[in-house]
Amino acid sequence: MAHVTINQYLQEVYEAIDNHEGSFCAELLSFKHPHVVNPRLQLASPEEKCQQLLEPPYDEMVAAHLRCIYAVSNHDFVEAYKFQTLVSHKEENCCFRVCASDNRAGIEDSKKWGMMFLSNQLFKIYFKINKLHLCKPLIRAIDSSNLKNDYSPAQKVTYKYYVGRKAMFDSDFKPAEEFLSYAFHHCHRSSQKNKRMILIYLLPVKMLLGHMPTHQLLRKYDLMQFADVTKSVSEGNLLLLNEALAKHETFFIRCGIFLILEKLKIITYRNLFKKVYLLLRTHQLPLDAFVVAMKMMQLDDVDLDEVQCILANLIYMGHIKGYISHQHQKLVVSKQIPFPSLSTVS
Amino acid sequence: MNRRRAPRRISHSQRRDAPAGGGGGGWRTRTEEQWRGPGKSQVIEGDTDERHGDEAVPRGTCQTMCPARELRDRQLQSRLHRFEVSAGTEGDRRPKGDPLRVVKEYSRPAAGKDLTNPADLRPAAVLLKTVCYLVDDIVASPHLHPWTEAYSFAFDRLRGVKQDMIIQRVSGSTCVAILERTVRFLIYASYRLCGEPLRLYDPRINDTHLQENLSWLLDCYGAGAGPHANQDELQALGLLYNLGSARATQHVMGLPSRLRSSPAITLALSINRAFLERNPVRLLRLARRLNFLQSCALHRHLVTCGRDLLLIYSHGFSSRNCRFPLDEVAQLLSLDASLAARLCQAHGVAVNRDNQLVFSKAAFTEPEHGKLHCKLYHGIVAERQRGLGVGNLIHGSA
Repeated sequence: MAHVTINQYLQEVYEAIDNHEGSFCAELLSFKHPHVVNPRLQLASPEEKCQQLLEPPYDEMVAAHLRCIYAVSNHDFVEAYKFQTLVSHKEENCCFRVCASDNRAGIEDSKKWGMMFLSNQLFKIYFKINKLHLCKPLIRAIDSSNLKNDYSPAQKVTYKYYVGRKAMFDSDFKPAEEFLSYAFHHCHRSSQKNKRMILIYLLPVKMLLGHMPTHQLLRKYDLMQFADVTKSVSEGNLLLLNEALAKHETFFIRCGIFLILEKLKIITYRNLFKKVYLLLRTHQLPLDAFVVAMKMMQLDDVDLDEVQCILANLIYMGHIKGYISHQHQKLVVSKQIPFPSLSTVS
Repeated sequence: MNRRRAPRRISHSQRRDAPAGGGGGGWRTRTEEQWRGPGKSQVIEGDTDERHGDEAVPRGTCQTMCPARELRDRQLQSRLHRFEVSAGTEGDRRPKGDPLRVVKEYSRPAAGKDLTNPADLRPAAVLLKTVCYLVDDIVASPHLHPWTEAYSFAFDRLRGVKQDMIIQRVSGSTCVAILERTVRFLIYASYRLCGEPLRLYDPRINDTHLQENLSWLLDCYGAGAGPHANQDELQALGLLYNLGSARATQHVMGLPSRLRSSPAITLALSINRAFLERNPVRLLRLARRLNFLQSCALHRHLVTCGRDLLLIYSHGFSSRNCRFPLDEVAQLLSLDASLAARLCQAHGVAVNRDNQLVFSKAAFTEPEHGKLHCKLYHGIVAERQRGLGVGNLIHGSA
């Protein structure tokens, strides 16, 4: 394969497609096959040749793959990556449509079984190129399919992982928790790496719903970056939270969870203010007490106006049951459940 | 080879027209467009000809702001703008074009129209000179009234400049210099013309073009070798203009930490954070530190800010005996008492006889659609201008 001409290579591809030799065809488009070092296949513009000999969509796919080889031979890896991703996207997408619309075969042979596998591959691509809105039609198709519970466990876990991440991005935290928890619990015990990946997204969601992870869990999966974050949120320690977020900023940004972790600030305010309430043991709390609490967190620029604003926001969001009396400069909280549990709010 | 069918006829129109040698060019351009997205120019510097093989990149040769052919044509058809006409000939049946004032207009691409004639394209250096003319002599001119007309003219001619840049695949420091000025101009206009009637100024069209130019500029920053002297300023402006947007926030968070810790971006990030946390008091306090152009970028979000404040206070202070001084709200929003009262009433917050507000969560309403409250906040922005010239503002030499 390292010495064939371009015509011979294309002929091999054509025959592989025609004879439904999926795995051989895949090898011919893969980067692990020796054909990639063949200088006769390193063409800057292979499109004409491909269009002459192959039908769409294979002509575009193979042309893109050949351009990728050319780019790699010129050490232009950015270009190469772009082309190879396109190869995957195009072939998956039209394959997905073929599978989804397969109405002719019986249930055992139906191409619909391929749907979840393809969706998972497409999710991977869409997350990498940051076009999450493209996931929606796939999710809709799978949801309305009558086979959705019969796919293999591995496929279901991968599917729920991506759907959970999408829900997280859309700020639907309850469904996100459901999906990601499912993925985590059903993930095979030996796939430590996969379980860790799921946890990276499950942890922030759980924390927003008020459930803090234990130290053992974090240590077991090598996620100690979350340790300080967890501690500061449950203690209501804003100072430590800011420090923790800054310290592991790069890691959180790379995983795409930094913005969600910032939402924990509101939970932290709530926990801090609850402590003030528990200390003063009264239902009419002077606003000054909260200002003092902020100053203790070394937030010296938070004055009375801002404290009132933060409290008003917490009341609006349902984290505090009560009202602020401007005349008496007091926060008056409900005698029943002034600080509803986090899992019941939002 | 056992071919069972004849080679397929290629039906793309580009391929039919393309010369034999450069047959692949048309196809390649199409798919590159698809992959990179329309409107984004190739920002690969140097050796562009080699990369694109047979298809040479058009190189303009027109040294004037308007190609001679267009000047002649428009003069003949009496299609010169009043800013382009030679002094003294305005009343003529066919006014003469002043070559120092005529600027190539934007021309929508169409099938069969060849926009790549080198005599009609202006090279990068001429484009930059054109932009400077537009800024100094049109946008910043104290003599051209009304300003909506100066804006329309400059908007269209800048679009023509951008078109020339795309066709010639301009990149590098000249491209950045042009885009920075365009972005600053459009941000300034978004404030100055806010509230004008739709037939004179359309905020959505301004916004679309602002986002396109900004997006290209950010690409240039990301792709090209630095240093870009104004990058921190423009990144901050982009974030302030797109306050609260997850995409914009993620982009700024992904910048190198040295850049992110610049004062402009740090302030923009803090304001963005306050917006996302729904802390309008903090937001408005931080916003006092913004300069004029940054305030212009932020100003359209002040309406949401004010509304958020009244919303959460309506819930937070909701009680039968609530009495909240109007003056305090006025001070938080940096508005005078009468404007603050109008705002409150529009949101269903009652103002009693002693200028006290009665907050009630049941009473809060979203204001009627169409009632433009943005202008209430313009005073805050206006006072930041403080004699700053528009020209300096757009060139960034402030």
